[in-house]
Amino acid sequence: MGALKLCFVVQRPPYKSENARLALTHSISSQTAEIHLDDGDTIVPTLIFVGDGVLNAVKNQQAMKHYGVTSTENHIKNGLLIDMPVWICKEDMQRLGLTEAQVITDAEEMGAELKMKFASFDEIQKEMEACPHLLFF
Amino acid sequence: MKLAVFLSDLRRTEDTYERLKAEKLGVILVENGIYHAVMKEGGKDSPVLNKAGASFYVLSEDLETRGFTSAQVNPKVKVVNYGDIVDLIMNDYEKTAWL
Repeated sequence: MGALKLCFVVQRPPYKSENARLALTHSISSQTAEIHLDDGDTIVPTLIFVGDGVLNAVKNQQAMKHYGVTSTENHIKNGLLIDMPVWICKEDMQRLGLTEAQVITDAEEMGAELKMKFASFDEIQKEMEACPHLLFF
Repeated sequence: MKLAVFLSDLRRTEDTYERLKAEKLGVILVENGIYHAVMKEGGKDSPVLNKAGASFYVLSEDLETRGFTSAQVNPKVKVVNYGDIVDLIMNDYEKTAWL
C-alpha cells in the first residue's frame, strides 16, 4: 500500500466546542495507527485550516492561563514539530482580515523545521483530491 | 426591558439577534462571540456591532485565550473582565439572554 494520505480539514473556530481540537489531536496521533498496518506502510496526515477554521492559527493564544487547557496554537506547533504539513487558506485569512503576521508561521522555538503553508483554496482543493480519506471538523 | 445579551458564537445567531428589541440593550461578546469585536470580515465591522442603541462589551479573558488583545478591539466595544460582567448584569440590566 505504501503511504496512506489523510487530510484533516478544520472549518470551525477554536474552543467553543471540542471539534477543532479533535482535528488537531487526531491528526497528530494518526501516525500511531501504523502499528495496525503492514510493515513499510505509513500514514501521512495533512492538517488544513479553511473558513472560520483559520482562526485556530492566531498567535499568542492564552488558553492555559484562562481555561487551563493546551492552546490550539501549541497543538499546531506540535504538528509542525513532528513534520506534519499544516496548511492555511489565504483567501479565508484575507476575508477575515487576518495577516500573516497575526498567525502561526512556524515553530522554530520548539525546534521544528517545517513551516506553515499559506495556500490558495485551489491548492487545498488539489491536496484534498490527492487524499483518499478526508476528515472534516 | 433592560436586557443583557450574551453572544458566544461567530455565526448562526443573527436571526434572533437582529429582531431583539429592548429599552436598554447590552451585548456581551464572550467565547467565540469575541471575534465580532476584533474581525473585519470583508474589510467591514461585524454586522453585530450595527445594532442601534446597544452597548457592546467583550470579555478580556476570552479575547486573550484566542490570541487577541484589547488594542485590537473595535472602538465601539468596551473590554470588560468577569467581575465587570457580574456588575453589569446585577446593576444595569433586568434580564439576560444567551444566544
